[in-house]
Amino acid sequence: MAAFASLECQTVALLPPGKAHLRDSIQDATRALDAFLASVERKGFRIAQIALRHEADALDVVQDAMMQLSSRYGSRPAAEWKPLFYRILENRIRDVQRRRSVRGRVMSYLPWRNDDDEDIADPIEQAVDLAPQPPAQLEADEAMTALEQAIAALPERQRQAFLLRNFEGLDVAETAASMKCSQGSVKTHYFRAVQALRSKLGDFRT
Amino acid sequence: MKAEPTDEDSSEFERRTRVLLLQSADELSGAVRSRLTQARHAALSAPPARAPALALRWLPAGAAIAAMLALLVVYVPLGKGTMENPVTNAGFDDIEMLTDTDSVPLNGDQEVDYDFYEWAAAEAGEGGPAPAVGS
Repeated sequence: MAAFASLECQTVALLPPGKAHLRDSIQDATRALDAFLASVERKGFRIAQIALRHEADALDVVQDAMMQLSSRYGSRPAAEWKPLFYRILENRIRDVQRRRSVRGRVMSYLPWRNDDDEDIADPIEQAVDLAPQPPAQLEADEAMTALEQAIAALPERQRQAFLLRNFEGLDVAETAASMKCSQGSVKTHYFRAVQALRSKLGDFRT
Repeated sequence: MKAEPTDEDSSEFERRTRVLLLQSADELSGAVRSRLTQARHAALSAPPARAPALALRWLPAGAAIAAMLALLVVYVPLGKGTMENPVTNAGFDDIEMLTDTDSVPLNGDQEVDYDFYEWAAAEAGEGGPAPAVGS
């Protein structure tokens, strides 16, 4: 919160005297943006994590999206922030996926490539937790893992439509604005995503 | 026999998945939550991006147009569509001249009809000795 407060102070200090109403409106806008970002950051991170299957990449992608929204679109009406944020987030996710794909192709041609370099899993993260867990928690964890894998296996547009509609709770119009497609396409992608997940997960219980 | 999924089943499925996903977002680790908070503060501290100046905004379009004009100047000659090369075309002109049968013979005495000139001189002189050709 220190950085946030310092930015506010810097901006307000630049204002000429007698512009108290401007100072108040700047502070209000910054607080509104802060509240908005706080409301979407966790869901945004989970969406990125499911798509990228990598925690650090997901964090970077969310930070980039927040940066871009704040610096470029912070002056837009607050009602536009959510579709804009998720559009930026999806673009960043796609950038990372493309970069990975290119890197994978290049690395496959190199004779001296070291496959163990980055793909190796952290042994501490992979270690089995031997502490006793309640059965309900275990079941929920297993269900979440299965759901996450099934969502990650969906085609890109279906995954986007499902997560934005179901998880984030955007309506059809907002989802269409985020995905830059028609509302009919959103409905189609969402319906197919639900069908695919149902057929894959079967009797899915939480 | 397995029954077809109904709309009600789908809604229930969607509700269950939504609950699970929201739960996973609420149960993020402290480290991740801390990183997200830092990222949010960094985003709010970032200076607003300024729109590029008008000249800079039109710079790519201007550069593209200039490049196209340069290409036009280099590859499309003014006036004629194709350039004539007098050196390469000279051979064809010479062949046309040599094969032209209507022109004056160039091979000198071989083509001259001497009998005709002798007869013409005899007719003109009436009994006198015919003058030598060329005299």
